[in-house]
Amino acid sequence: MRITAEAKTATRQRILEVAEELFRTRGFEATTTRDIAQAAEIATGTLFNYFAAKEAIVTELAADSLERARGEFDKLSSEAETLEEALFSLVAVELRQLRPFRKYIVPMLESAFCPLAAARRNEPGDELRRQHLETVAGLARRHGLGELSAVALQLYWTLYTGALAFWAADKSPKQEDTLALLDESLAMFVAWLRTAADERK
Amino acid sequence: MPASLSELIAALPAEETEGELPARALPEIVERLALRPVPVGRFRRIAVLGTLQAKIFAAYFFHWLRGWFKTADENKRLLAETHWRTALRVLDSMSYLRGAVMKLGQTLANFPDIAPREFVETLERLHFDAPPMHWSLLREMVRAELGDDPENVFAEFDKRAFAAASLGQVHRARLKTGEEVAVKIQYPGIARTIREDFRNLMPFLLPARLSKDWENVKDQFDDLRMRIERETDYELEAANIEKARSLFRDDEGIVVPRVYRQFSTARVLTMDRLDGVHIDDFLGRDPSQAERNEAAKKILRAWYRMMFTGRMLYVDFHPGNFLFLDDGRLGVIDFGLMLHLEGDEWEIFRQMDRALTTGRRDDRIAAMKEWCHIADDETDRIALMDEFADWCWRSRYCGGEFDFGDETDFRRGVDLFIEMVRRRYSRARPITPTTSRQQFGWRSIFYRLKAKFDVRPICEEEVKAAGWDRSDYATTI
Repeated sequence: MRITAEAKTATRQRILEVAEELFRTRGFEATTTRDIAQAAEIATGTLFNYFAAKEAIVTELAADSLERARGEFDKLSSEAETLEEALFSLVAVELRQLRPFRKYIVPMLESAFCPLAAARRNEPGDELRRQHLETVAGLARRHGLGELSAVALQLYWTLYTGALAFWAADKSPKQEDTLALLDESLAMFVAWLRTAADERK
Repeated sequence: MPASLSELIAALPAEETEGELPARALPEIVERLALRPVPVGRFRRIAVLGTLQAKIFAAYFFHWLRGWFKTADENKRLLAETHWRTALRVLDSMSYLRGAVMKLGQTLANFPDIAPREFVETLERLHFDAPPMHWSLLREMVRAELGDDPENVFAEFDKRAFAAASLGQVHRARLKTGEEVAVKIQYPGIARTIREDFRNLMPFLLPARLSKDWENVKDQFDDLRMRIERETDYELEAANIEKARSLFRDDEGIVVPRVYRQFSTARVLTMDRLDGVHIDDFLGRDPSQAERNEAAKKILRAWYRMMFTGRMLYVDFHPGNFLFLDDGRLGVIDFGLMLHLEGDEWEIFRQMDRALTTGRRDDRIAAMKEWCHIADDETDRIALMDEFADWCWRSRYCGGEFDFGDETDFRRGVDLFIEMVRRRYSRARPITPTTSRQQFGWRSIFYRLKAKFDVRPICEEEVKAAGWDRSDYATTI
C-alpha cells in the first residue's frame, strides 16, 4: 500500500504530539520508543522510519520552538544597545519558547547540540545550530565586531549549551539563576571578542 | 552596644602592603570609574569578594581603626593617600557587589567626618547612582514575575533605572489606572549571592574562633545573614510597608508609599512614587534651622511610631531611605530590613525604655547586662558600655534642646564605639548586628542636618499614642 505524503506528514505530527505528551507526563528516560509507537498507533519499526531515536524527536520538537523564538527575537533585536544585550535577548526568548521541554532537553544537548558534534554533518541538530550561529554572527557584525572566527563560534556554542544545561537543572525560583549566569557568560564572551578584536588591530 | 560586624572587621588580616598609587593617576581613575557601567552577575561578584574586595575593605578599615589612635599629624601622613586610593578601589570593587558587603559599606557611609569624606562620598554614590541591569535582562525578570513585558503590564515604563538599591534597581512607571509608581526589581540570583557572600566572609572570621565569645559571635553572624536573606523577599517587604503605612495619618507629614500588590511579587515591588530629594540635595538648598529641625523631628517621629505602635524597628537608617518632599513632608522608603519586636525582644526593649526614660545609671547597666550578657565582675566592660549607652541615650533622658550637630559630642560617641571594637566587646544578643545599624544611623543623619531640638516630647507623645502604660517609672522623670 502506498502511503501518501499527506499521510506521512500526519503520522509524523502525531508522533511528535504523543511523544511530547509522554515526555511531559512520564519523563524522557521512562518513555520508550515502543510507548511512543503504541500511543501513535504505529508499529515500533515504523517509528524509526520517521525518527532515528528519541533524541531526534526532542530535537524536532525544539526546532519548532526555536523557530518561533527567532521570530520573536527579530522584533526585539533592534532594542539592544550592546552585543551582550542582544545575545542575552536572543537566548532569553529561546529559553522562553523551550520552557515546555526544559525537563527533557538534556538528551538533546548531549546529542544534537553537543559542542563536539560540530564535525558531524546532517545530524538533526545541525540546522538548528547553523541558524543560531548565523544569527549570532550577524549580531556581531551589526555591533562592529566583524566576522566571528571558527574558534569564537565554537566558544560561543559551548557557553550557549552550557547555559541551556544549567537552565535544565536550575532549581532557583523561576530559574532566575540562569538569567544571572547567562548575563555573566555573555558579558565574558563579548569582552573576550573585543579584546581579540583590539589585538588584531 | 557593640556592633559585632565591626568586631569581625577588626579581626580581619592586617593591611595590604601594595605600593602607593601615584597621585597624578587619581583623576584618571576617578574618570574611568565614573564612566564605567556597573556589571551584574553573581560569579563576578563572588570573584571580586573573594579577592580584592574583602582584602581592601579589611585593609582600609583596619588602617582607619589604627590611625584613630595615632596623633593627627602622623595619622595624616600615614593615611592621606591611602584614603583616596582605598576609597577608589573600594568603589571599583564594590560597584560589583550589591549584596551583603554593600550593606557593610552603607553602614560606613553613616560616619560623616569620621570616615574620610572621599570615602563616604564614593559610597554614597553607590546608594543613588543609576545601576546596571540592561533592558533585556530586566524584561525577562518582569516577564518571569508579572507574566508579561513591562511595556504591556504598565502604561509607561522607563527603561532607565532612576535609583539603585542594594538588592536591585528602581524604575519609574505609570499604571494603566494612572498612578505614578516606582518599580523595584531585584537582581536575579541575589538571594543565593548573599548566602555565598556570607560563606565567603566566613574564612575572615577564623581569628574570632579563638575568642571565648565565638559561639555568640557566630549566632550574631547567622542572625544577620538570616535577616539580610529575608530582605530579598519583597513580599515580606510589602507586608512591612503596608503595616508601616497604616500607622500614619495623611496630616502628619510622613509618607510611606502604597504597595500595589497585583504588580508585586517576591522579586518585584511596585509602590507609589514619591518625588523628593535625598539629604544632600535637601542640605544643598541651605534650609533654615527650623526646616532642619522639622525634618529631623519627622524622622524621629516615624521611627518612634513604628517602634511603639507598630512594634517594628526601622533599622536601615541610611540616608537614601529618606526623601524630603517639596511640600515639606518626609518620605520613608525601603522597609526590607525591619525587626519585629515580639516576645523576649519586646520585653528587652521595654527594659531599655526604662533606662532611656529615667536616665538612672542602675537602669542603664541592668539593660546593658541583659542585652550583652555581661557578668558582674566585668567592671571595665560595664564602665565603657555604660559610657557609650549614656552617649546614645542622653538626648532622650535629659530632655531640653539637644544639639545633634555638635561635632565633639558626635566624635565622642565614635571614640567610645571604636574603643569597644578595639577591646573586642562583641558578646551580645544575636539581633545586635541588625540593631546596631540604627545606632549611628539616626545620629549621623541628625548630625548632618545639624538638628537642634528636644526629642522627649515626641517620644512621650508616641508612647502615649501607643497606649503603653509605663507609669511605674515614667512618672519619676
